This record gives sequence, C-alpha cells and structure tokens, in this order.
Amino acid sequence: MRPPRADATTADGRRASFSTLDHGSATLAGALVGQVDGRWRLLAATALPAGSSPDALVRLLANRLDAADPAAARAIGSASPGAPIPWADVPRLVARSRPGANLAVIAATERTRARLEEAARGAGWSIVAGSAERTDPLELTRLATRPGVVAVLVGVADPPGADERELATEIAVATAGIAARRPGLRILLAGPVPDEPLLALRHAPAIERLPAPDGAPGERVASPLRDALAAARGGPDDSRRALAAAAGSLARVLGLRIEILEIGVSGAARVLASPRPADDGETRAAVQLVEAPEAALFRMDQPGSIDRIDHWFTQGLDRARLRDRLAELAIAPWSDLDGDGALLRAAALRAALERLLVATDAELGSAGVDLVVGAGGAWSAIPGPAATHVVADVVRRPGTVQVAIDHARLLGPLGTIEDDAERDAVVADLAADLLLPVGTIVMPRGLRPNRPAGQLLLETAGGRSEIDLVAGGLTLVDLPPGARGTAELAFRGTPELGPRGRHFRVAVSGGLAGLLLDLRDIPLRLPERPDRRRELLGTWERALWPEHDA
Amino acid sequence: MIDSLDLVPVRAHLVSRPRVRLELQPGDRVIAVVGDEIRVGDVLAERIRDPRLVETPMPRDGADQGIPLPGTWLPGEHARAGRHAGAPAGELLFEHGGRRRLATGPHPDRLLAPGDGRVLEVEPGVALVLEVRGIGLAATELLGEPHSGRLVVLPEDSDPRLALDVALAGAIVVLPGRVDAEALARARAMGIHGAVVGSLAERDRRDLVASAARQQAGMHRLAPFGVLVLGGYLRRAFAAAVQAVLDAAAGSTVGLVGDPALLLLPEDLALRVPQPDRIVVRGGTEAGLEGRWLGPGGLRRGRGGITVETGLVSLDDGRTLAIPIGELERFAALASSG
Repeated sequence: MRPPRADATTADGRRASFSTLDHGSATLAGALVGQVDGRWRLLAATALPAGSSPDALVRLLANRLDAADPAAARAIGSASPGAPIPWADVPRLVARSRPGANLAVIAATERTRARLEEAARGAGWSIVAGSAERTDPLELTRLATRPGVVAVLVGVADPPGADERELATEIAVATAGIAARRPGLRILLAGPVPDEPLLALRHAPAIERLPAPDGAPGERVASPLRDALAAARGGPDDSRRALAAAAGSLARVLGLRIEILEIGVSGAARVLASPRPADDGETRAAVQLVEAPEAALFRMDQPGSIDRIDHWFTQGLDRARLRDRLAELAIAPWSDLDGDGALLRAAALRAALERLLVATDAELGSAGVDLVVGAGGAWSAIPGPAATHVVADVVRRPGTVQVAIDHARLLGPLGTIEDDAERDAVVADLAADLLLPVGTIVMPRGLRPNRPAGQLLLETAGGRSEIDLVAGGLTLVDLPPGARGTAELAFRGTPELGPRGRHFRVAVSGGLAGLLLDLRDIPLRLPERPDRRRELLGTWERALWPEHDA
Repeated sequence: MIDSLDLVPVRAHLVSRPRVRLELQPGDRVIAVVGDEIRVGDVLAERIRDPRLVETPMPRDGADQGIPLPGTWLPGEHARAGRHAGAPAGELLFEHGGRRRLATGPHPDRLLAPGDGRVLEVEPGVALVLEVRGIGLAATELLGEPHSGRLVVLPEDSDPRLALDVALAGAIVVLPGRVDAEALARARAMGIHGAVVGSLAERDRRDLVASAARQQAGMHRLAPFGVLVLGGYLRRAFAAAVQAVLDAAAGSTVGLVGDPALLLLPEDLALRVPQPDRIVVRGGTEAGLEGRWLGPGGLRRGRGGITVETGLVSLDDGRTLAIPIGELERFAALASSG
C-alpha cells in the first residue's frame, strides 16, 4: 500500500495520514504518521506484545494523540469536530517478520551442499542438510520429513561435475519419494536437477526452479540463488527485505554510509547501504543484505552461545538458571522486564550481535560506516543510552560513528513502499523522527592502556570543553540529541582513527548517551576471572544505564 | 467494536475437536486407514526400531499389483533359484536404476490412539493426522511419546517422590508442585503413562530426554511415557482457568499429544468459560495473580529503565495496579481447530 501524498488532503477535507505496523515475532509495533506543515511527521508510536490487536494499537495511538493535541488529531483524523477519528480507514503500511522457516537441503555432493547451505542461510532459512554422496536415502528422507520442514531445496552445480551427473537423477527420484509422502511440501530445484520423477507423481508438487549454486563452498556471497531463496521465504511485505529498501533510502537521503543491525527473536539481518553518485546526477545506493538466523536474540543451539551471554552478563547467575531464564524469554520475550531482566536482554543482545558479525563479516566486511542503526525488537528492550554501549562493546572498529535506533519500527513498513523516489520522499521528511540518535562513538586503536592518551577539545554551539583522555576506559561527554559539534583529538601516540595519526578533527552529533570516547583495546580484552569481568563491565554499564542497580 | 481489552494478547487455551499429528518415521507400518473411527488405545501403527536401508532388485514382472508409490508397505519376497536373492518386508523409499530402496527393521512397539476420533490423513513415514472428538487443553511442549490414561491431579503441596506409587500405574498424573527428572523417571518406572507439569527446567528436560534415549536403545524397553509441559522453564503455578479444567477432568480418560501440544479431554466435560475481561499476570513481581481488566494504563518506565505500555488491572487481592501489557494475558473462549 502507498502512503498518500504529503501535500494532499483527503476528499472529506482531512489532512493526509497513514499508520504503520511492524509485525515481529515477539512485538507488534505501530505508528501514526501525518502531514504537519507540509511534511510527514511521526505523531505517535508504541509497541505491544505480538498477539495484541493491530486495530486496538492504532486506536490507542489515536486516543493518545487526541489527548495530547486535540486540534492536530482532528485536523488529521476527522473533518467534523466531535466525530470519531476513523483511524481504521487511513492507509496502512505493514511489514511482517517471517520466522526462520526450516528448509531441507539435499545436494548431490558435499561440495554443492555447502554452497546451497550458505545461500539458504544468507536468505534467512534454518537448515537441515545432507548429500547423496555422504547421506543414505533413508536419512535424507527422514531429514526432509522432519516436523517443521516446509520446503526442500535440491541442487546440483551447473554444469554438473562428473560425480554429480548420476547422483542428480538419484536425488531427484529420492525427492519424488519425499514429495509423495508429504503432499504440499514446496520443492525448490537449483541447477539442472531433472524434474521428470516429480512430474510423474500422481499429485505432482509445485516445483520452483531456482538458479544453480555458485561461489566457493562455505563462502557467503551475494548470488541470484540467495536472492531467489530470500524471495521464496518472505513475501513482498517481509520486514527484513524491506529493511534493505529503507536502508537504500536513508543512504540516498542522508548521503551517509548506513549499517543496519537488525536483531529479532526469530532472526537477524545486517544491511549495508552506501550512496553512489550516478551519471545522470542523481544519487543511487549500493545495498547489501545478509540474513543470519543463527543470530536470533535467544537462540542457544550453537556451541558456546550460553557462554557468550554469560560472558557479557553483569550479574552472577548459575549456568542452569541462566539457561532457564533465556529459554523462558524465547517463549515469552516480553516477560522479565524489570531489574536484571533488562541486563540479561542486553547481554543476549551483545552475544547475538557477535554472532551476526561473525556470520556476515566474510561477505560484508568490517569497514567503518557513518551511521549504525539498531533495528528490531531487541534494541527496544534496553534503554536508548545503553544501546550505544552495546554497539561500542561489540562493533570494535577504529573510527567515528553515529548510533541511532529505529525506535518506532518505521524502517520495515517504509521499506515496503515499492517506488524508490516515493519512499525517499517520505524518508526525507521523516528522517529526523524515525531515527532516535543515541550518540556518537569515537574509537581509536593503538593506545597504550592505563596511560594518559591526550586531549579532546569539543566545540559546539553551546561552547567549548576540554577533556583529558586516559586509554583503557570509556569517557562519556554530555552532548544532547540534536546538538552538533567538532571534536579535536590530540593524542600522545599515533593511534588509528580511520587513518593513523596524532591529530584528528571529526564531526560529532549528540544523542541520549552523548559522545562516547571509547579508548579501550580493539579487540576488547576483558579479565578472565568472571567476578572481575562482571565488575568491570558493570562499571561501564552503570555510566550509561542509571537504572542498572534498580 | 474495538475494545482496549484487545491490547492484551489472548491465549486460546482450549481447542474444540483438535486436529493432531502423530509423528511417524520411514519404516513404521501404518495400520489405520483414512476415515477409520478410532477409540482411545487402538493400535494405529507399528513402530520400527533401528530402521535400516536395504536395496533390493525389482520384482519379476507382475509380482506387484500396479506400481507401488513411495511410502507403500511391501511384503517380503522369498529368495528364488537363480540370482534373485529375495527381499525383506519394508516401506518403499523409491525405485531407481532397476533397484528398490526399502526401510526395514523389527516392529516391536505400537503407536496407540491418544483419544477417540477419526483418521483424517495418513502420510506414510511422516505423520498420521487425527481429528479428536473432545477438547484440547493447550500446552507448550510434549517430551516423550503420546499416550493416554486416567487423569489424577495431585495436590499442590504433595512431594512427587512420595506421592507417586504403583497405584497410579496407567494414569496421567498432574504434578502441580516442583518436579525434577528424578520424579519423572520414578513415575515412568511405576508404570505411570504420563505427567502434566506447569514447567520444567532445561536440565531436567535434558535428563528426561537422555533417559528416554537410553530406554530407546535398551533391549527391554519400558512402556511409552510422555511429559506435557503447560508453561515454560521457570516454576509457576497453574492459572486458575487451567487448574479449573484439570480439576474438572480429574478421573476421566485423557490423552497427551505433541503436535500441537495438547492434553486431550473428553467431549462431555463441563467447563467453566473464563470471563472475557479476566486477566492473568504471567510474569514480573505479580506473576501468578489474576484480576479484571480496567483499561490502558499508559506508558510507564520500569525498574530496569525500559518504558512499556501498561494496563490497569484490578487484582483479586483488592489492589489496582498498572502492569506491563507484556506481562499480561487472557484466555479465549473455546477455539476450533484449524
């Protein structure tokens, strides 16, 4: 659905408006957007647990707007004073997060299986896999008929290798056997897999032909197969795919290199978008999206995943209890909000972010960007300033970066607007509203720990401040949202802050956390002893999380 | 009409005439056929143990009646003079290159109907789909196998290690208090068919699954045993609406199934439907309390510094509190199975 044009009024004289809904696995987020002084503005936003009624949410927001600014509410929602505001009738932009559905991968050889797995995982599928080369037909049948498997991806290379030609027919026949048992199972054929055995079935399954796998085994690369698999998994309103479109708009509108780190309960994704001047004078954006279901917030099925959460958790908790609390959160993500439940979420977010970077660095790299945006429900479950600390702890790259949160969960719904120019226009109007600035991180590499490192001179419209820098810790400088300034850093050594040097002058902008000077090691080194690690992490966390000990 | 009560997620805890799937694996021999009326305890399939793959030559022309489909159970063929080595009985996986791949093995175990109903679908080697005549009480997970038995509700303050004895053999026991893997292993050893628990810690789940795997591998296997978990991992009392259902079903024959996880109850059970505005607090400091919905409570900043939507709830103990909506749930009227 398209939002109405910003300069339009409706037939009954109301100003243009629309609502957005982001249906996540754990959270239903909604917002009201309306025209104010000829621009789209965010009027109200909130989030509720998934399962709440979208209509009730929109009505809650409308009532809240009505209570806060009745004149604006009437102008936007209703032509006649006293009449009920027909918010149910205003256009809605809806994005939906698709849970990581299970895909059975059947390949002729182990080499092709690895390629298919990489493509499918990057497209957000959860995988069970086998190959005719290593797995017997009984086991292949069992894995493809497991509860929860919704589709089978069968593939061979194109052209098939000498060892694949005979096996290609065998896996096609085995797949026909599976399809005969499970009517309705989706069959995806990648590469020259013969489809005759499937078509010969009495109730032939719907077959989707996809490109053949390419790239080296185990290498995550963008590929037509991955795009096709992503399209096969999500629909046009899939929120993770929509994030990529929204990131492109942000990059074009703001002229910045954008990185979106999306962490949810059922999956995760990383998007990079960079503006590129085109020959026609317009600005384009290069956008890369990689999904990583293994980085879902409370996913604990990988070796060491509990250990990493324990590593970041600042409260002492025995391992069995920690596992139970995380498992409970996976079932009921909105429970346990008070006290150390929020700290536990922050620890789980750090661990998930680590998994996301590990899963995507090979393809997207670890180069610096201008703006990191936290998206998805995980970022809403911790206070805004603490989000800066989470990014600083995990995304260890020398340089200066702004951090913001998609606080109203608008990026997904806006990303469903198909036309780039139309979406860019809405994003341009809403840019100041849709991203909540939480701070700027300045992170040099190569300082000698626990020694005076130099000086910072911060110049803003409000004045100048000088701060002595000590390597090895975090220094927080008050810089409120909306404030802009210049930071001059004079180091005693020659650390790396993008380039290597002694003097740097960088533009900084404010946020809920302000300016965070992170003079810790890259990569971050923490004490081995759990009590000392918790104490150190807790000290840093308290600075950005006033309710830490509540 | 949109009501603010719709802000609170609704839990469909009772399902009318549920459709349930009983998992099979390739090589299981299905006895039931589509359309069969079944009674609780009827044998639906013979379970294969230690399935193995065998390749056999295609039979001589005319030996099969038509072309068998994958999933078809094929009788054994005797060896004949010459080069034909014969074939064991088994389930056809597929035919390729002039040879058949079969899943075969011994079938010492039985899959029994967990309730009265009708066979809707048979997916050989995958699942049996049943429509159960009765009501299903929603749970989160079944550990172990589907089963049935007389429902016995133990008092909340009972110690399962003392309360479980052989007099309960064949029963499905509701354990409202603290439960661990040891108590469940003891229940299984007593011949109890299954247990219904409010929650079970991860460590106890793993112990239970490991114990079941050891049984699976053993020569002398115990009878099937299922543990139905109604909640999650942290100990919590049953909601009053759930407790009322369990109390009403006490003494009747019930079943445990895992897909979806349900406690199957008799059709003629007299159940009290919870009031529509009845609210249960499922987490936080007021966890386990219940009350009545009054309306939205606005945005509040919690102790952890997170701002969330709240709802005003008049609790049964007389207090009126603004509680995060994420901590609340309500029960729907009887839902029908899709």
